[in-house]
Amino acid sequence: MTTAIADPASSARKRTGARRTAPRLKQSRAPYLFIAPFYVLYVLFMLVPVLVSLWLSLTEWVGLGTPRWVGLRNYRLLATDVSFHRALGNTGVFVMIAVFVVVPLALLIAQALNTRGLRVRDLWRTAYFVPIVVSPIIVALIFGLIFDRQFGLLNSVLRALFGTGGVDWLGDPDLAKVSIGLVMLWRWTGYLTVFFLAGLQAVPKELYEAAALDGAGRVRTFTTVTLPALKPVTAFVVVTSFIGAAQIFEEPYLLTGGGPAESTLSVTMFIYRAAFQRQQFGYAAAAAVVLFVLVFGLSQLFNRLLGIGRATS
Amino acid sequence: MYTPPPMPRRTLLRGALGLGTAAALAACGRDSTTARTSGDVDLALWTHDPGYEAFFRKGIPEADRLADFRYHLTVTRAGPADIVTKLLAQAVAGRGTPDMAGFEIGSFPRMLRGDISERLLHDFTPDIAAVPGLKDDLLPARTAPYRKDGRVYALDSDTPMVVYYYRDDLFTKYGLAKDTPTWEEFAELGARVNKDHNASLCVVSTNGSDTAQIVQSFQMLLYQRGGAFFDADQQLVLDSAEAEEVLGFLCEGLRSGFVIDISDYYGAAMQTALKQGRVIGLPMAIWYKSYGLVPNVPEQKGKWRVRAMPRFAEGGGTTAALGGTGFGVIKDKANTRAATDFLLNTWLTHEGQVRRFIETGYLPTRRSVFEDPQLRGLKDDFCGGQRLFGLYRDLLPDVPPQHTSPDQSILFDVLAGNLLRAYRGDVSPRQALRRTAEEFRDQAGR
Repeated sequence: MTTAIADPASSARKRTGARRTAPRLKQSRAPYLFIAPFYVLYVLFMLVPVLVSLWLSLTEWVGLGTPRWVGLRNYRLLATDVSFHRALGNTGVFVMIAVFVVVPLALLIAQALNTRGLRVRDLWRTAYFVPIVVSPIIVALIFGLIFDRQFGLLNSVLRALFGTGGVDWLGDPDLAKVSIGLVMLWRWTGYLTVFFLAGLQAVPKELYEAAALDGAGRVRTFTTVTLPALKPVTAFVVVTSFIGAAQIFEEPYLLTGGGPAESTLSVTMFIYRAAFQRQQFGYAAAAAVVLFVLVFGLSQLFNRLLGIGRATS
Repeated sequence: MYTPPPMPRRTLLRGALGLGTAAALAACGRDSTTARTSGDVDLALWTHDPGYEAFFRKGIPEADRLADFRYHLTVTRAGPADIVTKLLAQAVAGRGTPDMAGFEIGSFPRMLRGDISERLLHDFTPDIAAVPGLKDDLLPARTAPYRKDGRVYALDSDTPMVVYYYRDDLFTKYGLAKDTPTWEEFAELGARVNKDHNASLCVVSTNGSDTAQIVQSFQMLLYQRGGAFFDADQQLVLDSAEAEEVLGFLCEGLRSGFVIDISDYYGAAMQTALKQGRVIGLPMAIWYKSYGLVPNVPEQKGKWRVRAMPRFAEGGGTTAALGGTGFGVIKDKANTRAATDFLLNTWLTHEGQVRRFIETGYLPTRRSVFEDPQLRGLKDDFCGGQRLFGLYRDLLPDVPPQHTSPDQSILFDVLAGNLLRAYRGDVSPRQALRRTAEEFRDQAGR
């Protein structure tokens, strides 16, 4: 039998080494532990749903039981689905309204609200911001009453002013889009105005003084000083408006239900309809993936075009 | 004797954490499925209608007397579509499903998709067979919407036949006959009334946000005329001569003013039209009195009357059916038996069906109950003291079955758009129906 004799010096070295490594490890782990909750939640609530959606888009599933693998069939069907094409077209129209009508109008209103000497400025700002606070259901109910063909407020006003009414605001396929656009305008303009106002208040006064010294008028000051100074804010507002409008749901869902004849059906409504009215979860997931790819790709394109995130010289 | 060393504090904590997690996971697991056969039962009921909640609560003593259970009811209220959505979500989660759920007829077809109903709902067929005479007494027209492959998955709350409501005072004032036999003659009267008094005798809904409403206006007259959306095999049968005739009739009515288009049967537009006397009559289901007329125009109490709809000259019946709610029981749960007994002992008994009509206004679904003298004697104050039950009993043989399909929502989406196109004159009735059939077949195949 052999007896191992421990070397006291070696043991002491090991102990000292252990004491040195443990705190270092703890120290190096600490930052990861602090940021870990975010990543755990990110994986659970972002990555997992995205990956499951991707997988689901390759299956046929009624919402219960086991999904059946169908490969790319859902995507092939989407490519020939007239309803989906209509939804894409309608969403494109809503995006155009958001980017080319709502955003410029918000900028003009912000400019007006930023004018020196404007009386009851805070009241105006509140008035423009209120629509975003109101519940979409209330908005839809009120606008439903306003747009009603037979007994609506808008037609009554038109009748009183011009002797003509009976415009089918929600029943005519083209006018229904316009009506949704008007509601978008009413609801989102004030919200975006707040961003522009914040941007305007950050423009150095010296720039305006210099422009005034150069003899620039209002329009020239606006185009040569205000607009360039607001570029980062504008870029942010345009991209967020684009993403918001591409996912529009509440306004058409509550006001027209996507009708008449799918003329206001948006892509998100198409997804909702497929999943929760038709029990076609795989098909809905495929449409969601297509929407994600389109929104992501176009957002990246906007980011590059508008130079978001790039250092300004 | 060996004595184990004391456990370190960290190990103890780890163990406790593990046990706690296991307990929490177990608690999140599936509901117990050991069937209860007697004793206290807390039934979870999901419904969209407070009237049903009141009915079932009042039925507890009777159910206690007739079964071996002592019932307690926990009711959750949600929108008709939400009930199906949440039920499926809970079923996927494996817990939290109700014991009983009320499926509004427009939402129930979602349960028919794939094998959802087989997986989730209790089949009432053997229960109905077990009660002597019940199978023959239950109206087939009202089991049809909830039937699949010969199995009955829900029991209807109503025989919602369609009748004609009219303003008795204005009909008298305008000199209108109250017993015009055919729709065609009635439409001529309607055109004259519209010209002379700016009033209409029929309504179609053009509510864009509610495709079911748009479809309902057409559906009532289509079923009365003898047409249908689907047959018993869930095949589309919409593209028919009857459908074309009915749609043409409505389109022509809109041109002449006999028919008025209203954006919402139940909301402000209809209320305004009723209050202004623009709508003085309309075909609608019997429940419309409680959900449309009474809340919108309570001041017109006593001025309304109900009669059978005029017939179509070319054929068809005297009534149709519109709406309904089927109560189903969730299968393979501890309370499945108790819930089934509760439903049979409250909903389906003769006394239960009588009480149902008196308290909620929903017509019996058992043929024999229509002979009950108590019901036949009831007067309706809103309709000027009319005894309506006799009329309903006379219409009963003409109530058509409503066969549904899992693709019903697809049909409603495409049909609503094409109906609006036809109403506006953009397409002919024939084209509208053809397009509907084509678009439906295209989308239903996905």
